[in-house]
Amino acid sequence: MNNGSAVQARGLHKSFGDVNAVRGVSFEVNAGEIFSLLGPNGAGKSTTISILACLLQPTKGDASVMGHSVLKESMGVKAAIGVVPQEIALYEDISARENLSFWGKMYGLRGPKLAQRVDEVLEVIGLTSRQKGRVDKFSGGMKRRLNIGIALLHKPQVIIMDEPTVGIDPQSRRNILDNVKELNRQGMTVLYTTHYMEEAQELSDRIAIMDQGQIIARGTHDQLVKIVGELDRINLTLSASSEQLLAAWRSTDGVHQVSATAQPDEPVLDGAVTLLVDDSNVVLPRILEKATNAGVRVTSIDIQEPNLEAVFLHLTGRALRD
Amino acid sequence: MKAVDIALKDLWHSVRNAMFIVFGLLLPMSTGALFYFAFGGQSGGDEGFALAPIEVQVVNLDEGQMGFSAGELLSGVLRDAIPDLIHAREASDATAARAAVDRQQAAVAVIVPAGFTAAIMELEGRAAVELYEDPTLTLGPGIVRGVLSQLVDGFAGTKIAASTAHDQLAASGLSPDATTMQAVAMEYADWTQTVSEGQQSGTNPLFEIQAPPAQEQEGNEGVTGILALIMAGMMVFYVFFTGAASAQSILLEEEAGTLPRLFTTPTRQSTILGGKFISTFMLLAMQVVVLVIISGLLFGVDWGDPLPVAAVTVALVVLASSFGIFITSFLRDTRQGGIIYGGVMTVMGMLGMITVFTGTVPTASNATNTVSLIVPQGWAVRAWRLLLDGAGFGEVLPTVAVMMAAGIVFFVVGVLKFRNRYA
Repeated sequence: MNNGSAVQARGLHKSFGDVNAVRGVSFEVNAGEIFSLLGPNGAGKSTTISILACLLQPTKGDASVMGHSVLKESMGVKAAIGVVPQEIALYEDISARENLSFWGKMYGLRGPKLAQRVDEVLEVIGLTSRQKGRVDKFSGGMKRRLNIGIALLHKPQVIIMDEPTVGIDPQSRRNILDNVKELNRQGMTVLYTTHYMEEAQELSDRIAIMDQGQIIARGTHDQLVKIVGELDRINLTLSASSEQLLAAWRSTDGVHQVSATAQPDEPVLDGAVTLLVDDSNVVLPRILEKATNAGVRVTSIDIQEPNLEAVFLHLTGRALRD
Repeated sequence: MKAVDIALKDLWHSVRNAMFIVFGLLLPMSTGALFYFAFGGQSGGDEGFALAPIEVQVVNLDEGQMGFSAGELLSGVLRDAIPDLIHAREASDATAARAAVDRQQAAVAVIVPAGFTAAIMELEGRAAVELYEDPTLTLGPGIVRGVLSQLVDGFAGTKIAASTAHDQLAASGLSPDATTMQAVAMEYADWTQTVSEGQQSGTNPLFEIQAPPAQEQEGNEGVTGILALIMAGMMVFYVFFTGAASAQSILLEEEAGTLPRLFTTPTRQSTILGGKFISTFMLLAMQVVVLVIISGLLFGVDWGDPLPVAAVTVALVVLASSFGIFITSFLRDTRQGGIIYGGVMTVMGMLGMITVFTGTVPTASNATNTVSLIVPQGWAVRAWRLLLDGAGFGEVLPTVAVMMAAGIVFFVVGVLKFRNRYA
């Protein structure tokens, strides 16, 4: 069953009354890779993660982690995984070190080995100097790091991270993303959920896009982007409308499409023009030259290379953060 | 081992929690202390109420008759009846006695008028003993009035007896002389005095004052007895609160996300819940032991022999912690907990404690005993009352058995509900 895959989900369903939170989710996470579940809030990512962490039983289907079935060998699964929950789950009235020691015991660590792992994890999450501080005095970022540290104590083979960067400052976020990459570099398999396209793009070897309880696309970043083609999108705002200029742009080499709206489903705005081009770096100078020749001033330029946001938009008709 | 780790973590959290310190220890103790001081316990151990002596000025203007002076008798009673409480002193005259009261040097002036004995002896005689009281006082003058009333009622009875005897003799055609009438009066006075003494010594042949069982206790009398009962009630009341609040930590951890996180570790659900239950049990045991020891040291409460006390302590801890787990297992979240703990637990606690407040009312005891046993708190109060009444191990055993059985039932139902909830 475990042919190089650390996690396998097969036809997972989960219903809460009449609500079908997860509908037939199947995917595989290869050992040693970072695999992201990307989707908006309510897509079913956390429910899927909860099934893999043995917190919820699937209504239908099964999943395995390092060869252990979540239905039949939950203790084996739990020993193999470290879970970073979406909400900060710490004992706030004790210190960082006391938290790590307690959770280490829950993972079966004792004595000198426990103390050593606590020291190592404190080093990894950068809280060695604050190890005796009460957690309720910590910043949000520090709590997030400790939240992650707990999941690392027993050196799990798979770490499952459920939106670990929600609601924190950019610096802490950067720190967490770097930590994830470092853990993966050390050989840990990472299953990561997020609704931040940039995080999935930066971290992931492979990505599954989820919406309304289903996986609607999966693959590497490049594979996903190809779903919407490889054209760059240039959004321009002009000082005045000019049919003559639009005609000139349409005849420009490398320009595939010119429309006078920013998005197909957005209302027409005066002076707003969207162009689909081969390579914006090459085509943009030509476009600006023609605008100058036509006596029209370009007041703003926004260049969008093909990305996961566009993929999600293409597949669902909605923005990822809707 | 993991269960112990969880229990110790929870216990550490609880004992550092201000709510536990306030509701678990300070409130029961301070409530007890409040009653203790309210009943005058600060003035000395088990000696009961410590009233200030009542200063009484006595003016006896009665000359007596035929070697008997009712005024002298009255003065003597005031002087000797309760010497620790009533300090009766002879005043030179009525004016001086009233002046002493006006200056608040005395609480009461008792003025026995001239011809008092003659008025008693003569069938048509009338006389009034004057009580001149300090209007700012109530208790002292009331006590003096009570003592005098008893005596004066005796004199009035003598007069009525003599009058009745005279009328009956006259109706029979006899004409009793003064010596005969005096003999009748003296005989009645002797009988009255015998009855009165009998009342004071508790051997009155006509009626008997029967104290309720709680007052027959061996180790706790007077103020300490009342305090001990209240301490027992308060302890039961707050121990049940602590049990529920401690069990609520399961809900708190669920809401904080640490309980679901515990379930993601390779720790069995039974171990996690077991750890929480151990913590509740340990916390309550600590609370009861501290309250028992402190109430003994501070207020002199004698809880009885160690063995039955230990049995009742264990039973209370089992019952209260299990009941906390039981009631918490029905709650969805801590918001519901506020309603349950604020309302239901308070009502149940008051119902269970009802015998504490009606313990000295003989007519209420049986009914309230029955009513209070509807709730588990009632059984716990009953067990502690038995201890305070000097019950031994064998006597508390049936109540302890009921408490343990109820505790086991509550525990099993609560655990099953929690297991289903997190399955």
